[in-house]
Amino acid sequence: MSARDRLARALMVEGAVVAVVFVVIVVFFAASSPVFLTAGSLRDLFVESVPIILVAAGMTCVLVVGGIDLSVGSVVGLSAATTLLSLQNGLPLLVGILIGVGTGVLVGFINGAIIAGLQVNDFIVTLATLSIGAGALQVLATNTQLTGVEPGAFTGLTSNSILGIPQSVLIAAVVIGVLEFVLVATSFGRTIYAAGINGRAAHLAGVSVRRLRLQVYLLSGSVAGFAGVLLASHLNSVQPGLGSGYELTAIAAAVLGGVSLAGGRGSVWRAVLGALFLVTLSQGLQLLGVDPLWFAIVTGASIVAAVAFDRAIQRLAGSLLQPRKPPTRPPADGDESEASRAEAPSLPTQA
Amino acid sequence: MADMATARATVSPRQVLQAVVTRPSAGVLLLLVVLCVVMSVVSSSFLTVDNWFNIANQMVFVLLLALGMTIVLIVGGIDLSVGSVMGLSAGVVAYSLNFGFTLASAFFFALLCGAFIGLINGLMITKVGLPDFIATLAMLGVARGLLFLWTNGVPFLGYMTPTYNTIAGLERPFGYLTVPIIVAVAAVLAVAAVLKFAPFGRHAYATGSNVDAARLSGISVARVRILAYVISGLMAGLAGILIAGRTTTVAPTTGVGYEVQAIAAAVIGGAALAGGRGRAIGAVIGALTLTVTTNAINIAGVSGTWQLVVTGSVLLFAVVLDRVSEMLRERSRHIPPPPVPAHAAATA
Repeated sequence: MSARDRLARALMVEGAVVAVVFVVIVVFFAASSPVFLTAGSLRDLFVESVPIILVAAGMTCVLVVGGIDLSVGSVVGLSAATTLLSLQNGLPLLVGILIGVGTGVLVGFINGAIIAGLQVNDFIVTLATLSIGAGALQVLATNTQLTGVEPGAFTGLTSNSILGIPQSVLIAAVVIGVLEFVLVATSFGRTIYAAGINGRAAHLAGVSVRRLRLQVYLLSGSVAGFAGVLLASHLNSVQPGLGSGYELTAIAAAVLGGVSLAGGRGSVWRAVLGALFLVTLSQGLQLLGVDPLWFAIVTGASIVAAVAFDRAIQRLAGSLLQPRKPPTRPPADGDESEASRAEAPSLPTQA
Repeated sequence: MADMATARATVSPRQVLQAVVTRPSAGVLLLLVVLCVVMSVVSSSFLTVDNWFNIANQMVFVLLLALGMTIVLIVGGIDLSVGSVMGLSAGVVAYSLNFGFTLASAFFFALLCGAFIGLINGLMITKVGLPDFIATLAMLGVARGLLFLWTNGVPFLGYMTPTYNTIAGLERPFGYLTVPIIVAVAAVLAVAAVLKFAPFGRHAYATGSNVDAARLSGISVARVRILAYVISGLMAGLAGILIAGRTTTVAPTTGVGYEVQAIAAAVIGGAALAGGRGRAIGAVIGALTLTVTTNAINIAGVSGTWQLVVTGSVLLFAVVLDRVSEMLRERSRHIPPPPVPAHAAATA
């Protein structure tokens, strides 16, 4: 194996690019701000990123099967509200958490039932439930007092630490580990990839694609609901509009991590890396004293840059991996095929 | 839609029902009619000329954005940036006027801003190869961020002139008719004509239906897609001009969330996200449905906090209804209806 082949294979490793870029910005921020790599700052960073990481992980499962779930943003806010409301009214902690997660399951079920059962376009259905969920939160927040609970077991979910690591971060790590395991190492996970790559073929191979799609929306909804519970524990207050925009950040994070919107490609840990990248970027910019008004622009630009860069790298790796002039052919033919090969990788981009 | 009922006066009620159920966006129209009838009975202020011109004035922004969105959906894309572009264009108008430019040049700059952003969207999608969703999502963030930076969080104001008042529909020189309504009608006719008669229209449907077939038959697919995004940007620019006048201030949040309404209106009107399907009149039906529902809940005295819930429910109801009617259509295609009942009904 030549150095060229080795380089090509290294570039082809999915997630290598985002991992490298992530390390680069961490080093950059660490060099520019002395407080960036302190324990307190890192702790804040992880606590802040817990909800978005969870939402991105759930979103990945939906994206891999070839769907999209825009409703997660309002699920986060709505679940935070229902949990807080239950606990304020004196329900036990576990019941409150279950109500929060159940809110997400309910929205996920509505999404999945309509999308999989009636075969309605997923983008529109989840756009509608996004709007309904955000509206429900607004109604709930104006008609009830979401003042928060006394600091205790619930707020402790975030503020208490085990071995110096906040509980919510540990819980999120466990959830992500389970999701990654399910997607990579179980037959359920393999059918998700199969259905995402070619739904028809998966169906012919005996996979119930409809049930699978219902299941991923349930999964995404419940994970988003749980993210809402942890967010409520962190903030201990809920305003209307909480969680809005999470769906877009989560999709951006997944795409940064190389998850394909067309389905069939992606993994949970890479989406998590993408989410960490976005949170680190905004926190790092904040530490550098950059005006927060710049964040939307920087985030948007970094998404475009990362995806374009990823495409370019894949193309480069693809062209490096092409077998060079086959020995049996005369050089003239070889030159021609080289030229036609250079054209080839640009074709699928129209898809 | 009205001609359908008159032309088939002789057919059985069952066939009429079937035709209504299986016609695209007929379900939404039915919903709209039922809503209007109920509201007319419940409230005396609903079915008035005043209220309907009020509705027409309110729906202009969503309608313009939905027209552009319909074209983008037809070519198989999606434009999430329209709300932000509308806000940024509104900012361009306000800033240019405050800077001392004439009204005409301020409007020109706003349209240029919209078209330019549309061009960037189109180039990112066709030349760089970014997915439509990602490119326009990034643009949503960038355009909004630019407006926030530019205004520094403080609204632009103090740019209104008497002429601008008239153009924005705050003054009514022609009785009930306002300039925004005229602009919107002109835009609908223009888009309908382009889609029906211009080569671009045919190319757009062809591109959205089957990209490869379109490319093989010699259509410059990339150019068609770029042009669709430019038109969508222009529409957002136009909507920005009108909303800057209507609200008389440009807050950094101007136009937030309008992309959702535009997509909802286009889809309610029968545009398909998969591409190849959509009409200008559909955008009108969609925008009208959203605006009439809002108007109805306002008149019914429902709190404004229910707004989002209602918009979402209408959208969900519309797509489910559309899907059910499509399923019925497929079923009636598979099993041809037996002639006996129709004959019996006609003789009865």
